[in-house]
Amino acid sequence: MTDITPRLGTVAAPPGAGSYHRESRWYPYALIAPTMLTLTVVALVPFLYMGWISLHEARYGQVGAFAGLENYRKLLGDPRFWNSMSVAGLFVAIAVPVEFMLGLIGALVLSQKIRFRSVLIPFLFIPSMMAPIIVGLVWKTMLAGSWGFFSYNILERFGILQGSSVFASPDLALYGLIFVDIWEWTPFMVLTFFAGMQALPANPFWAAQVDGANPVQIFFRLTLPMLAPLLVVIGLIRTIDAFKVYDTIYILTNGGPGITTESPSVLGYKYTFDFWEIGTASALAVVIWLLFFVFCNIFYQIAKRRLNVF
Amino acid sequence: MHKSRANSLVFTTLSIAYAALILFPVFWMWSYAFKSEAEMFARPTVWLFTPTFEHFGYMIENGYHHYLVNSLIVSGASTALVVIIGTPAAYAFARYRDMKFRDDLFLFVLATRMAPPVCLVIPYYLIYAKFDLLDTYLGLVIAYLTFNLSFYVWVLSSFCRDLPLELEEAARVEGYSRARAFVKVLLPLLRPGITATAVLCFIFAWNEFMYAFLLGGQNVKTLPVGIPSLITTQGVRWGEMAIIGMVGTLPVMVVVFFLQKHIVRGLTMGAVKG
Repeated sequence: MTDITPRLGTVAAPPGAGSYHRESRWYPYALIAPTMLTLTVVALVPFLYMGWISLHEARYGQVGAFAGLENYRKLLGDPRFWNSMSVAGLFVAIAVPVEFMLGLIGALVLSQKIRFRSVLIPFLFIPSMMAPIIVGLVWKTMLAGSWGFFSYNILERFGILQGSSVFASPDLALYGLIFVDIWEWTPFMVLTFFAGMQALPANPFWAAQVDGANPVQIFFRLTLPMLAPLLVVIGLIRTIDAFKVYDTIYILTNGGPGITTESPSVLGYKYTFDFWEIGTASALAVVIWLLFFVFCNIFYQIAKRRLNVF
Repeated sequence: MHKSRANSLVFTTLSIAYAALILFPVFWMWSYAFKSEAEMFARPTVWLFTPTFEHFGYMIENGYHHYLVNSLIVSGASTALVVIIGTPAAYAFARYRDMKFRDDLFLFVLATRMAPPVCLVIPYYLIYAKFDLLDTYLGLVIAYLTFNLSFYVWVLSSFCRDLPLELEEAARVEGYSRARAFVKVLLPLLRPGITATAVLCFIFAWNEFMYAFLLGGQNVKTLPVGIPSLITTQGVRWGEMAIIGMVGTLPVMVVVFFLQKHIVRGLTMGAVKG
């Protein structure tokens, strides 16, 4: 008679599971305690300390008198802050959608009958898995003025830029950095979307083919909606990561020429270690952190509700 | 039949061309490690050259092999610490989903990861200056916990969710305590997940630049920090930088070949069960 018991979805609680819980309710907390304690010490305390500094006069490593919101007023009144926000905004607004589109196209190509696919896939990991500072180094050599491989053989040959580096041009430097970011992260998008497509259930696709749907219809009506949660998660992760990019900018332009590629991370660095304006730098860090926390919260809510992955 | 064959050929060609576009710049940069300055800066581009090892000589003379050792020590130690601290937490988050405040605590774990390093490096610098932790191995190992511990807990927890509950229950019925069931029954099953996640943590530490650059010093320089040190007032030492680029990337490539299945899952924080 047991086979008529409904067994839908939820896994039945194992026998006695409830009693174990009552037995010692603090057991799971004991397991997570070391992690929580560590994260509190290495992340929360420094963060609170920084918040405290941001409310004080602080220069040259000396924290002085209480200053209220003075540092924030100074920060929000600094055109360089708004410049850095727009640099990051432009960076994210171009890089992420391009990586996204190319990633989808690449994943569709990779899903076709391709020879040597298993040999190709590991290579696609390389740009996003190697150190960002080395990615910067690679493109520093490729795009170096006059002798860089790309500069000489492509940019000069087609008359785009003569005898100078992309990264020395105030008009082109930011787009050069965006190009590098696209080179670095598109292969990763391809792989992620490809993995997502492989994990989709096959039945709806057979049914659609039987019903005579064409590939375009199948892509927009089936693949895309079924992939939506994954796309949202990846889009958010990439947005956050692109916003905090530092290493590649540091090695390629360090914010220059002028302040044309000065992202918030680069600005924060300069406030601290070039101008020693630690109070303003802390205020900037708090603002960025708040921005990230909002992002992070949205990410978590969507991921939890729509993907059930956490 | 013919059409699909032709399609397959086109797509294969496309994919190989793309892979070449990805790999060529990397290998081109490596080639600088073996080129003389004249060959590097030549216009038009020099394709064939006799390899020189002068750059390697410079690296050894100036003690850059210590950078490699430092990288191994710091990445290894911080990864080991992360595995020890994080494994029980990852399991608890996956297994006891109904515990109070679970979501808030898990979100806290994620939030520590999302912060850009530049946010934390200021208080770290000031605190380390006070406690004499600047330019020490311990200082960097602690700093690397900020991004790796949360990452490890988050990703391993997604591996833990795949563990069959019945096995643990069976072990409990056999009279194992919860802790013993975890160590004897579940840990062996988790080993592939732990290995994959730990190796990713190792790579993140290996690749890390900003903390190493600002919190390290004369004694604890890691490989990535070697790169800006080669941009000198006498000029940029491209050949030596290329060596760091090569030595820094090789282990990553090896890891990628062995762990490709797990990386997608790791880098999407467990969102894809790849």
